[in-house]
Parts: sequence; structure tokens; C-alpha cells
Amino acid sequence: MNKHKIHIAIIEPSSLVYEGISNILLKSGMYIQIFRIDSVSELSHYSKSESFDFVLINPMCIQNKIREFATLRKCFPDVCWVGLVYNFYEPQLLSNFNFLIQITDNTDTILDAFHRQIHLQEDGQSMEHEQLSEREVDVLRLITQGLSNKEIADKLNISIHTVISHRKNISQKTGIKSQSGLTIYAISNKIISLEDFAGV
Amino acid sequence: MYQINKLYVRPELKLSDLLLENPNLLLMMEHFSLNSIVQEMSVDQFCCKNNLRTGVFIAIANLYNGFQNTGKDLFTEKDIEVIIGFLSNCHRYYKQEKYPEIKSLIAQLYQTNTTAEVKLVEQFFNDYFEEVLEHLSYEESIAFPYFRNLLQSKSEALTESHFSVLEYGDHHSDIESTLSDLKNLILKHIPIQTDFVVRRKLLLSLCELEFDLKIHQSIEELILMPLIAKLEKKPNRE
Repeated sequence: MNKHKIHIAIIEPSSLVYEGISNILLKSGMYIQIFRIDSVSELSHYSKSESFDFVLINPMCIQNKIREFATLRKCFPDVCWVGLVYNFYEPQLLSNFNFLIQITDNTDTILDAFHRQIHLQEDGQSMEHEQLSEREVDVLRLITQGLSNKEIADKLNISIHTVISHRKNISQKTGIKSQSGLTIYAISNKIISLEDFAGV
Repeated sequence: MYQINKLYVRPELKLSDLLLENPNLLLMMEHFSLNSIVQEMSVDQFCCKNNLRTGVFIAIANLYNGFQNTGKDLFTEKDIEVIIGFLSNCHRYYKQEKYPEIKSLIAQLYQTNTTAEVKLVEQFFNDYFEEVLEHLSYEESIAFPYFRNLLQSKSEALTESHFSVLEYGDHHSDIESTLSDLKNLILKHIPIQTDFVVRRKLLLSLCELEFDLKIHQSIEELILMPLIAKLEKKPNRE
């Protein structure tokens, strides 16, 4: 429903630490939802139903479960794994994480680390709020005519993969996936006229 | 797993406190056919008085409060009938309350913003709801009777039914994304000049529908289907 909401799971046995880090994150102004999870094995139950952006783990919880943790990482390929460190751990154990939060870190340091990571992820995709590119508008026009990906590819002389990737970007930028929804979008934004649509 | 924005429902909590914190729970109670004054009763007392297993109430109330129940064995086959009753009441709410409400709001919007776009939105919603109705009637005419037969260990349940777990799941996928399209269109793209009050009501109503549909789907996928799968495997059935 909220595709830009950042989902954060926290696996931390200490309530004090859990409440503390949750509070810092909730007050950061980031659009987040926090889930508390009791164990690494509980997290694996969610591999199909939930998608998390960040999982914060006390390294203690994976110390003797390196194998289980490795499997888990495969179930959640897009998650950023964050270690919540307040004891000494072997560097090798800590190398399992994308970045670490130390108990002595101040609020800014912690939030900076999250912001950096979020920017990295966003750079990979095209940013929202952007206008559709000329090519995307071409694809959109053909979508509203009810053409299949294959037909669009043939018409524009591009590969089906490119069409699919354009469609993905269009949906991301407009927030609309269905053909009829996109048609209404195109009419509202004067990309096609009502007559074009009626002529289909 | 627990989220921190809403209360985690427990048997000893006062029902009225929970309802004041999340009024959506009142809708949930309607779905359970629990239509009585809650007085000062705790969740447990209220359920006992109304012959509903507290565990069922709590698990579903927690879904409404944003917590996904994790325990696998929270439910038994004795709960199936109650859950089917709950889902059937949800259907009534969609068909008799939500659908006419949204339809009339779109019509109101069209009266003051007579544009082709609003007309198309109406069409879009009608097509969408057609799909929803199809899914609901599939559940009512095929899935629910199949579950009930299974419960009574009727052997014809397996041979004569056209039910399939896969198909059941398939129906869900599109329903959600279309609602989100609709919300985005109304909020961002449809040129509306006046009557923003109607637009707000429309958006809220769509969100309410979406929220309840989502929970409806969670109940089917996380609670009902595992129970049915267990029933199907039961060895002593003829």
C-alpha cells in the first residue's frame, strides 16, 4: 500500500535498547514502520509476507547461528542488515552486516548511516516526482491503446525487456499500474485526448 | 512480532479502551456479529458472554491493530465455522455498504466536476468492483461450501468441488493494486475544481475498503487456508 514506507525489523533482546533505537528512528522524520521480532527464526517466517528494508540485529542473536543467518540473507536479498553492537564481537561475525550501530553512537551518526543507505538504494532506481521521459510517454501512449508488450516493442523497435523496464518506471513515477488507470492518467495529463481514447 | 503504534490486544484489556484507540475494531466486531454494548467488560469477559473463543477475537483484533499473529497453532478446526461467518459478514459490508457509498461519492463528484476523467474513474471503479464481486461470489458459492463439506468429512467435498487453493490465491493479486491506482488518480491526477470535501470523503472511503479487504485477505491466507490444508490431510476421512 505504502511503497515508500521504510520497514524496519529489530531483533534485540534488551527492551531498553529496543525502545531507545525505535524512538530515535521514529523521531527522525523518516516514513517508517518498526517491527519487533524475537529471533532470527521468527524473521524467516516473514520471508514471504513482509518485505523489510532494514533488519537491525544484535550480533549475539546470530553468533551461533551463522548458517541459519546465511540462509536468511538469501530469503531477504534486498535487506540492509545492520548490527546493533554493544559488546565485543569477532570482526568476522561483524562482517555479516552492511553497517553497524555502536551503543556509543550519537543520534546524528545513527541517522546519517540510514540516510546514506536510503540514498544508495534510491539512486539505483529512478527517483519519484520525475516527469515521464519522452520514450516513456511513447510507451504510455501505446499502452493506452491496449497494445501488448510485444506489440509495443515491435512498434518502437526496442526489445521487450526495454518495454517492461519502461512500464516499471511509468508505474513507479505515476503510482498507477493498470491499463485503464494509466489511460485516465494520460487523459488527465493531456498525453492523449479523449477522442484518441474513444477511437480505440 | 509487534508494532509500536497500536496496543497489542490481550484478554485482560478493557474492550472499550481498545475501541476508543482503534475504532476500526468496532467494524471487526460487526463482522463477528457482535453487536452489543461493551460496558466495562474486558476482552475475555466480552467474548465469554458472547460465546466466542477469546483467542480468535484476539488474533483478528491484532490484525486490525497491525500485528501479524505468528503462532501456527492458534486456531483449530472448531474455529473454521466462525471464521467463515466473519468473512461472509465482510462480504455483506463490501457489497451493501462500501460499494454503494463509493459509487454515490463518485456520482456526487461528477455533479460538480463534470469532466470525462471523473466519468472514466466511475467506469474504472465499476469494472474494479465487478472483479471484486466475482471473487466474493466464488468464495460464497464454491470455496465456503467446500470448506463446510470438508468439516463434516463429506467425501464428495473432494471429488465434486471445483475449488482449488491456487485459484483462491490468484483472485487476490489484482484487487489490491487497482484500488491503489484509483487512490493515486483521485489524489494526484484527476482535475478537480471544486468539492474537495467529496474528494476527501471518497479517498477515506476507498482507504477503509482497502484496509478491510487487506485484513480479509490476511485472514484467508494466514488463518483459513492453513486450517483447510490441515483438514484436507486428515487421514481418517473417507
